[in-house]
Amino acid sequence: MKAFTANLMYFAISFFLGAIAFHYGLSYSLESNYFDLVWILAIFYFFFNFLIGWHFGKKDYESIPLNDVGFRFHFVTYFLFNSISMLWFSLGLNSQYESLRVVYLIAIFWGIILIIHFILYLLERRKSINGLSKEDLFE
Amino acid sequence: MKNNNLLAELLATWEETYKKGQLTLWIFLSLKDGRKYVDEIKTFVEEQSENTMTCESQSLYRTLRKFKHVGVVDFETGSGNKGPDRKYYFLTELGLDLLDTFIQRNINLFFNKRIKNLINKED
Repeated sequence: MKAFTANLMYFAISFFLGAIAFHYGLSYSLESNYFDLVWILAIFYFFFNFLIGWHFGKKDYESIPLNDVGFRFHFVTYFLFNSISMLWFSLGLNSQYESLRVVYLIAIFWGIILIIHFILYLLERRKSINGLSKEDLFE
Repeated sequence: MKNNNLLAELLATWEETYKKGQLTLWIFLSLKDGRKYVDEIKTFVEEQSENTMTCESQSLYRTLRKFKHVGVVDFETGSGNKGPDRKYYFLTELGLDLLDTFIQRNINLFFNKRIKNLINKED
């Protein structure tokens, strides 16, 4: 099964750029004591991710309806967000108010949710052939 | 009059259920007939089914993408009629095996002498 589709790649690129912009904005706002700006950034970042997920997810399903219960998009999101967060600290771009411990905790707890999602994906895969739902394949 | 209405309603309901899943067989038959692009498949299905089956091009593209994904159909790009290149679809070896096995198990039954007689029998 071709898991890394064109729409997933466009989503990954958009998410990557959004995550870089968010991390930069977050560290800059905290370092400059613009604490109110953090809320605005977080809300904007939430809607940005929701929209790109909706847009590329829908296009991906219309192109080829892979029965993966959203796992591929979730995995890419998890991988990129946590990689960028860790890279941000290793390059020393974080503000003094950010903690690496929080980054690890997010990776661990989110990772647990990702594993549960992976189990659901494996269960769903049993109802599929090459990632396509057996029920819909010859509809 | 009432019975005619009931017959029409029952027939429409039965046909609606019966036709679900039939499109795959018609697409496969059209490709067994030879390589075709989407509009040719659409024409084949509508003509050969005597317009009992209709399909939209968009829905055909979507179905063919799924069939290609599971490896029963593939395409080659060929020149279009004065326009852009077209995708000419064909059945892969797996697709041909699938169609033949499906026909042997599900369609050939209707050519059984007893069933043929029953179908042709006057009430």
